[in-house]
Amino acid sequence: MNDRLSETFGALADPTRRAILARLSSGEASVTELAQPFAMSMPAISKHLKVLERAGLIARGREAQWRPCRLQARPLQDVAAWVEHYRRFWEDSFDRLGDYLLELKKQDSKNKKKEKKHVRTQRKD
Amino acid sequence: MSAHNARINAGASSEWDLVMTREFDAPRELAFKAWTDARQVAQWWGPKGFANPVCELDVRVGGAIRIHMRAPNGVVYPMTGVFQEIDEPERLVFVSSALDDQGKSMFDIRNVVSFVEQHGKTVLTLQARVISATAQAPQYLQGMEMGWAQTLDRLGAYLQSTTGGRAKG
Repeated sequence: MNDRLSETFGALADPTRRAILARLSSGEASVTELAQPFAMSMPAISKHLKVLERAGLIARGREAQWRPCRLQARPLQDVAAWVEHYRRFWEDSFDRLGDYLLELKKQDSKNKKKEKKHVRTQRKD
Repeated sequence: MSAHNARINAGASSEWDLVMTREFDAPRELAFKAWTDARQVAQWWGPKGFANPVCELDVRVGGAIRIHMRAPNGVVYPMTGVFQEIDEPERLVFVSSALDDQGKSMFDIRNVVSFVEQHGKTVLTLQARVISATAQAPQYLQGMEMGWAQTLDRLGAYLQSTTGGRAKG
């Protein structure tokens, strides 16, 4: 269980593996089927599948000769939950940034008004 | 074949990446500066009610980021980072890492921030992808959330006092 999350994210970092997962989200598939859209050798695809399997993101069926691959929901849920926490961090920061920028703008227009006044009074002198 | 490709494209960015877009009522130059001037970043970085007693940004490619976020309950959440791309005033790419007690990284995230100006406002998009995360990573973020949930009451006063002070600088 240790550092499972890291392994999951590591597996997700690769575009080919993401594509494989996206394909599997619409149902199980054989290795040959999974390899089809890629200009990649079968051993290369198998390597990606091994990474996904180790991360717990997919499981290989034993019931059939062609050993179908299927998506495992649990680690993806953990990832989604974690990303949600990170989103909240940014939503809060963005709220604060918005307030801050508004305050800057207000201050800026105040300063401009002051400047104008200043120029006017100087002209009088 | 094309149906296949469509599915693959759809999966390229999904719930395991964070993508957020927000419009800010400020011109792009101003918004960009708010991300690259340490004194300004310290005013808004982190959850509500948090302060940033340490906020250092070495704004150049390869330059370091060092921020200590302090929760209202006194707990300090240190983080570091590195700037990877600085394209003023359009794009900012940096890696951010949260540190544990021993100063080891609990998670590394690559953040891409883009600034698009529209009618004097700035549409900001943040795309974040986790590079690595340890088993402690969830606790870190959850702890922070608890830190700010307790302090919503103090928020208004805090924000007012800080915005009043910083706008002069």
